[in-house]
Amino acid sequence: MTDPRLDSPLHTATRSALDPWPGEVAWRPVSPRLVALELTRVAISTAVMLAVCAVIWFFTSSAWALFAAAAVLVFTVVRGVVAVRAARSYGYAERERDLLVRHGRMVRHLSIVPYARMQYVDVVAGPLERAFGLATVQLHTAAAASDATIPGLEPAEAARLRDRLAALGEDAGEGL
Amino acid sequence: MPPPAAEPGPQPHTVIARQRLHPLSPVLKSVRTLFLIVAAVSWRGLQNLGPDRYALVLLGLLVLVLLYSAVAWRFTGYEVVGRELRIHEGVLFRRTRAVPLERLQSIEVVQPVLARLAGLSELRLDVAGAGKAEAPLAFLPLAEADALRARLLALASRTPAPAAETAPAETGLPEAARSEEPDVYRVDNNDVVVSQFLTPPVMFTPLAVLYIVGQLVFNSEFGVFAVASMVTAVAGTIGAPVMRILNFWNFRIGRTADERLRIRHGKLETRSQVVASRRVQSLTVTWPLLWRGKGWLRVTLAVAGQNSVGADGQQSRAETDRLLPVATVETARAMVPLALPGLDITALPLSPVPDRARWLAPLRRRVLAAGLTEHAFATVDGLLTRQLTVVPYARIQSVRVTEGPWQRRLGLATVYVDVAGSTPAAAVHRPLAEAFAWADELTTRARAARAATV
Repeated sequence: MTDPRLDSPLHTATRSALDPWPGEVAWRPVSPRLVALELTRVAISTAVMLAVCAVIWFFTSSAWALFAAAAVLVFTVVRGVVAVRAARSYGYAERERDLLVRHGRMVRHLSIVPYARMQYVDVVAGPLERAFGLATVQLHTAAAASDATIPGLEPAEAARLRDRLAALGEDAGEGL
Repeated sequence: MPPPAAEPGPQPHTVIARQRLHPLSPVLKSVRTLFLIVAAVSWRGLQNLGPDRYALVLLGLLVLVLLYSAVAWRFTGYEVVGRELRIHEGVLFRRTRAVPLERLQSIEVVQPVLARLAGLSELRLDVAGAGKAEAPLAFLPLAEADALRARLLALASRTPAPAAETAPAETGLPEAARSEEPDVYRVDNNDVVVSQFLTPPVMFTPLAVLYIVGQLVFNSEFGVFAVASMVTAVAGTIGAPVMRILNFWNFRIGRTADERLRIRHGKLETRSQVVASRRVQSLTVTWPLLWRGKGWLRVTLAVAGQNSVGADGQQSRAETDRLLPVATVETARAMVPLALPGLDITALPLSPVPDRARWLAPLRRRVLAAGLTEHAFATVDGLLTRQLTVVPYARIQSVRVTEGPWQRRLGLATVYVDVAGSTPAAAVHRPLAEAFAWADELTTRARAARAATV
């Protein structure tokens, strides 16, 4: 396994956690509306925090409330950038025997979940997700640490993925 | 709860006809509640009622409990229909639990103190995927529990049940009924005691005691209550090791006739667990810092669904995951293959992490290692408490690779191997290319191993 050739910088350069097997895997992106969804989430929490600041300002007229509001705004910009990058980083690929899910920009994650290990598949859509016409597919194995969550899927695509995963899981059999 | 709908196809036939649990079971189960009630009544009752009426109230309570027990007993029972074990219980809220035998991971026969006095035992079923354990079967005579376990395990592994219908041997001595297979290994009780004294809480206890004594001698204003509370605290810290000593007393490893691992231990509450090696999800060897002088280690097994819950619905606090509570390397080397055949913990092909990992793990770098053996993935981590985790390829649930920002600068990544019922095995700070090569190799080998076992 410890092939010295693999360790060479040239070989390392072509790979990254977001594209481990260049050219071999057909990655599918998630819906671009996920970016809008994440930004809306950030906007909502910012609005709540600003409202709190406004209430404090209204009752105490303390300058600290204004500082807090400014901090919230700066924080919002940072969160917005992170959220957009994170949302764009999601990708998944259905290989012959396993599902690949990648995400993260700062900390890059890649999950490989064999269909045979699948216990059940969840399709979740919260109120906000529904407003954007999106859904999240979660794959569960017997291991609690398994992390295969694909947010920002079109409902039709989510349903297709769920059915396909369920069908693949069935003929792959045994879960443990 | 209505019984589960009959499956399509052939009607499931009754394999084991419905049987009742032991008549004493409801009494034993309600003993704790009874104690609580008596304690609650006693506090104020004695003052208000006077001794005579008080005794009468207690008698009334006792009769009530006995009546309830008699009624409850009529509804308890278990049966095996088709490929499920059905457990009936409850009086007001009647409940039938169906446990699919395919998902049975291991069965433990436990004798809590009170039940042991009555010669009874409890069957705890470890079922995969059950967050809260399925209903335990409590209580059965010991011999019947052993026989039922053998039959359930035989049914679960789709092998024909033992031909000899095991009659509940009421008269036979429990020990005699069990001693058919000799133990492969016995952990020395002295070692168990010494090993538990070589744990941080116990090591610091003398200091705490000295402090208390010092306070008593030199500080006359030190109140009785303060001392009492400190004594309680000391007892609390010592409590866990003492509980472990009692739990790991007479620790014996054996093999059943059908090549399963049998682990028996316990002083007050005796436990006997049977695990098939294909149910072992991962194996961990731990070298605690304080045990290094003795050259000792402990070996734990992760079995899916091991969070078994006792008859009283409480999470069992005793550690039931040990293969060896304390052992030398040679012993562990000889015993580990019982759980994972073909694994030699002294000869694992582990490779260290590259030198550039020193920026992220300056001290740990020397310890960190990982490798792919013939049948399993193995990683070593932990500077002070060193830990070797082994996951057989056939038990891998999923593989993950993560690359943090600092790791990316250094071209490193971490490979996680997820297993059921345990924390994932992590190979930290591997070269990126190697990490992906491993991830690929692990999924391939896991697939091959699964195909071979199914």
